[in-house]
Amino acid sequence: MAAPCGRMASRPLFQLLSCFNRTAVGNAGIRQFSTASVCRATLQAKSVTERASSPWTLMAAVCLQRLPVISADCNPIEQQFKDMILQMELEKSVLSDHELQLLEDAERMRRKQADDYDSDEEEGRDGQEIMLAQDLEDAWEQKLKSFQPAPRARADVDKDLTSAQRCLAETLVLLAEQQVGKEKLWLLPQTQWQEGETLRQTAERALDSLPAGYKATFLGNAPCGVYKYKLPKAIRIENTVGTKVFFFKAILSDSAPPKAPKAPLLWLTKSELQRYLKPAYMMKVDRFVLGV
Amino acid sequence: MNPVLRKLQVSVTQQVLVLNQAFTSCRATPSIRHPIWCTASANERQYRSMPTHGIGRWRYLLPKQAPKKRREKQPMKPILAATDTAYGSLNVKLSGYDMTLVEHYTQYIHNLCNRLGIRVAESYALPTKSTEVMLMQEKGTKMYVDAVLKTHERVVQVNSLNAALCPVFMEVLLKNQPEGVQLSVKEHTEADYHSRFKARPELEGLMAQINQ
Repeated sequence: MAAPCGRMASRPLFQLLSCFNRTAVGNAGIRQFSTASVCRATLQAKSVTERASSPWTLMAAVCLQRLPVISADCNPIEQQFKDMILQMELEKSVLSDHELQLLEDAERMRRKQADDYDSDEEEGRDGQEIMLAQDLEDAWEQKLKSFQPAPRARADVDKDLTSAQRCLAETLVLLAEQQVGKEKLWLLPQTQWQEGETLRQTAERALDSLPAGYKATFLGNAPCGVYKYKLPKAIRIENTVGTKVFFFKAILSDSAPPKAPKAPLLWLTKSELQRYLKPAYMMKVDRFVLGV
Repeated sequence: MNPVLRKLQVSVTQQVLVLNQAFTSCRATPSIRHPIWCTASANERQYRSMPTHGIGRWRYLLPKQAPKKRREKQPMKPILAATDTAYGSLNVKLSGYDMTLVEHYTQYIHNLCNRLGIRVAESYALPTKSTEVMLMQEKGTKMYVDAVLKTHERVVQVNSLNAALCPVFMEVLLKNQPEGVQLSVKEHTEADYHSRFKARPELEGLMAQINQ
């Protein structure tokens, strides 16, 4: 069900400038090179001064989602409506070729059975009745009986929280247990931002750092949410007020089983997230995880 | 005074008589009252007996319109290039075997774009492709036709999608994708534009002859 997304065309401004810088090195224009480097230097200087004054540690987290594989079941009302609409459409529809053929064959059989049947009166049909339409239909019925569809939902797989195949009708979000400060918390996989990389690259690094090798497609360069955490005064180190976590959305590309089955990873639906996440964190995450 | 009054009286009575006569004549033959301004040109005044003759005429007052020309061949709309903050012209292509699903999904995407303020340049359908599924007969080498599958394609062309809105848009699209419908988002190119038209082999042959 994962659809192939087209490659994104735009890149962040910073990367564009860096591209320009790289190409300018090869070019002869000294002026170009110098302006690009000046731009870059001023940017870096600005960022250095900004970071020196900013008391927040920046982190990027990835919200890895597995999209639904099968369609969701209908409500009772939806099911009733669906049945009614199908019934109405069936009653209003015109007979198909196959049904017309069935009627014709039935008619011809009836006429054959009659006493005053004259085969010469019959309209010339060459090669008639090798395969009656009814026989075709019986053959198709047999084929359908021998077809075993896979079960839509398996109760044992649904209960296994670490499996990516559970709850095929809903979207699942990946949660990892990570060390934050002194305690281990369940949260979206995150890592600290390093200098010289974009936040999206940090999020990609966070995804790669997981023990299970998941391949994902990031949906864009813009973060979808942010969570601010102020450290309590007791353990507040100088120059650090707290952390800001930026969330990036990604779609799981393949559903291959993870290589490390013992990793502390969970696949949860939106309703189950509440049991594992802290309330303040949950409030922020709740805003961008679509419950569609 | 008296002769004046008498004259006035006489003239009034005469006028009344004339009016009465005219009235009676008109009532007796109502068919003559139809004005014939449709057949006459605007420059001729039609003298008919009723003073209100031609009271409803208005088309002669309108300015002269040039005769309607046939619609000319539309030039191609310019393909936008991607900027730092927005994508250029993107093609959202839907394809599938079930036409109702594909059509409804296209309408859903179009309405979603309208709601989110994304500009939809065009929304069109590409020709349907028929695929014949042939099965090999169990005893024998001949293949026989088992089914005919029709692939329907719809395209929604979207202009200048904001790069910050794009992830949200894509996610909604992916989560609402119905089963059996393939979604692909690509940049719009001239080749895509030309693929909508039918190839004209005679014209191409003549052009090749001219160019040779």
